[in-house]
Amino acid sequence: MKHLNAILAGFGSTVLLLLNSLRQVGSLPRQFARLAEQCYLIGYTTLPIVAILSFFIGGVLALQSGYSMSNFGTKEFIGSLVGLSMTRELGPVMVAVLLAGRVGSAISAELASMKVYQEVDALVTMNIPPERILVLPRLAAVLVMMPILTLIGILVGWFGGALVCQYVGFISLSPEKYFETLRRYTDFHDVWSGLVKAEIFGFVVVLVSCSIGLNTRGGPREIGASVTKAVVTSLILILVLDYFVTKALL
Amino acid sequence: MNSVQHTARVGLLFLLGLALIWVTYEALGSKSALSKTGYPIVAGFQNLKALKQGDDVRMAGVRIGAVETTQLAGHRVEAILRIDKKVTIPSDARATITSSGLLGTNYVAITLGTPHAAPLGPESEIRTYESADLGTVMAQLGDLGEKLEDTLGAVSGAFRSQDGQPSLFERLNQLLSDNGNKIDAVMSNLESITNKVNRGEGTLGKLVNDPAVYDQLLATITEIKDAANEARGFVTGAQELVAHVKTGQGTLGTLLYDEKATADLKAMMANFAQVSEKLSKGEGTLGKLINDDTLYTDAQATLQKADRALGAMGDSGPITAVGAVANALF
Repeated sequence: MKHLNAILAGFGSTVLLLLNSLRQVGSLPRQFARLAEQCYLIGYTTLPIVAILSFFIGGVLALQSGYSMSNFGTKEFIGSLVGLSMTRELGPVMVAVLLAGRVGSAISAELASMKVYQEVDALVTMNIPPERILVLPRLAAVLVMMPILTLIGILVGWFGGALVCQYVGFISLSPEKYFETLRRYTDFHDVWSGLVKAEIFGFVVVLVSCSIGLNTRGGPREIGASVTKAVVTSLILILVLDYFVTKALL
Repeated sequence: MNSVQHTARVGLLFLLGLALIWVTYEALGSKSALSKTGYPIVAGFQNLKALKQGDDVRMAGVRIGAVETTQLAGHRVEAILRIDKKVTIPSDARATITSSGLLGTNYVAITLGTPHAAPLGPESEIRTYESADLGTVMAQLGDLGEKLEDTLGAVSGAFRSQDGQPSLFERLNQLLSDNGNKIDAVMSNLESITNKVNRGEGTLGKLVNDPAVYDQLLATITEIKDAANEARGFVTGAQELVAHVKTGQGTLGTLLYDEKATADLKAMMANFAQVSEKLSKGEGTLGKLINDDTLYTDAQATLQKADRALGAMGDSGPITAVGAVANALF
């Protein structure tokens, strides 16, 4: 019962945080510098790890599917399998997981520290809503950067699969054939669905991380606990939401 | 690193993202991009199968366009094909819906047509034909299976006894049982014959086992073949001769096929008959000469007189020759 109360309280505070942040949307143009800074932290600094991870995810996907599909004589369809998998599922989910691990943890740690060391209270004392300068720029930044990160991840994953198909001996599928089947079975609607999913996941990760960080009570130990809680909650929400969003977008 | 640099990098990343979105849209939506540049033609079918917007249009296997849209049009369905403007399709080219494989997608395949045919213009309709899809083939296989099953059932029925009538196997068994002794005798005879042949006995055995007999037979056959060739040449010559005669050429041909000559011959034969009849009757000079020996006797006497006169002329000289001749004659 205690845990249920905690979960409901966390959910309620997150919704309130979202509503309070939306109430501050009018101040966003005046916070362009903060928005740019958050875009840099969320997007630019995350780009390398997204590219590396997506490249190897696409490569491993091509390797596994090539190993299995070669037995059926259908290896020319690896392109379609990798293309659709990266576009509709793995690209958005893996980028969101990376975002939770790298950005969500940083956000929750930063906000938890500010909360623990009463910087947030100082803002409130100065009649500055913390949602305005701490949450809204991050939410706006993730909305801007998440589609870009996801699209780059998808494309890098496609090329990773193409390289594996070309240079792995038992697959030996030309890039032309790989991309021909990829283009045949992958539509821009699939890319659009993937970007929508990524947008939802990124928004939820940042919102949950902000909420957990701002609701931290105690000292430095609780800061670490908040980070762990933010990452775990984000991962769970990503996978739970993935099912429902996928079903809604089919 | 100041915030200006951060902002610049964010802006660069944002522009890169927009560019990637555009590139991805163009790459995956090239079907729609092509549809804006080419010219449309209409292809009518009875069934579009699983053809959908964006599927390829290929001429002899080369992609030349895409399916722009599909629509119902009365009692048929139409596919509007957007063709690359660089490609001209002859008016006698034909389109059909085919599949790139068992798991492949459908596409519209267009034949090359003839090079001298007029090209199809925008909005014109291309001739089409229906091709059998996998479902049709499977249905035909099902029909074939039913027919095969019926045939096997009939064969199976022939092997079963029905209405008290013995089956085919029973009849065969009965036949073998009734004629077992005869079959044994036939088999024994066959065995004896083959043994003799194997031992080289008899004409067939020698022919099989003795190479000399075989050589002789081969030589005989060769001679017969030569004789046949000669006979063939003779017959050919005879045929040519008959043909020559039939054309009325040569003496025999003229005699047989020239009506005037035939009439002349008949007249001549009639004259001969008359002459011979007169001769036999002793009419005329020649008849009398043949039948009456008086002339011969007279002639002989005259010759004797002439002989004597000549003798006398020799003795009395030329002066008296005329008188001697006249004396002898008169």
